[in-house]
Amino acid sequence: MKELLEHLARALVDDPGAVVVEQFEEDDGTVVLELVVAEDDYGKVIGRGGRTAAALRTVIKASAVRRNRRVLVDIVD
Amino acid sequence: MTVAADAAQQSERLREMVERVVSALDLEAQVDVRDDGETLTATVSGDDLGLFIGRHGETIDAIQHLALRVAGGQGDDRRRVVVDASGYRERRARALCQEADRAADQALRFGRPIALDAMSSIERRVVHEHLRDYPGVDTYSEGDEPARHLVVAPAT
Repeated sequence: MKELLEHLARALVDDPGAVVVEQFEEDDGTVVLELVVAEDDYGKVIGRGGRTAAALRTVIKASAVRRNRRVLVDIVD
Repeated sequence: MTVAADAAQQSERLREMVERVVSALDLEAQVDVRDDGETLTATVSGDDLGLFIGRHGETIDAIQHLALRVAGGQGDDRRRVVVDASGYRERRARALCQEADRAADQALRFGRPIALDAMSSIERRVVHEHLRDYPGVDTYSEGDEPARHLVVAPAT
């Protein structure tokens, strides 16, 4: 999940070197992925009306289902 | 960079992205990328692609949206990008056209506009084109993404 989010985010932004994903686990087992990108790249990962962020969450959730996990993607800006 | 080199690079970016998703979903599937000059199409073939497609196509449409952002180019290089899986788009197009025919029939029978469910821009295009030759009805889109939907109305 983390690797997939890193890869997708790097493919979307202008500055792939600035992409960082931190992974945490909450008490109930939910995996939290925090995505940080360069200041000017937030628009690229959020998209018009939040469509790109929604698409990222949908795809990451599908990969979490495979692992029987719950996942939250947090875009930190 | 030359146009041909650019196009090859877009195809490669598309293939790499879709292959990453396929492997993250632990699917045994093959990814083929075709480029007809106007549209880049990535087709995933394999067994049990339900997870890749998702409920009501939610996952495959999300993958397609990301693919457009990643490989669709900008400005003059902009292209359509389609992500397909084992004939899914064709099955879906057939279902959409049936729904559209039903709506057109109702619009004429009741003499008022009939709204369809929300659809992606690519799916709306399929329906617009399907109903273009349907006598006596017009189609237009209404609302904002992601709730944007098609309306079938008696021709004015």
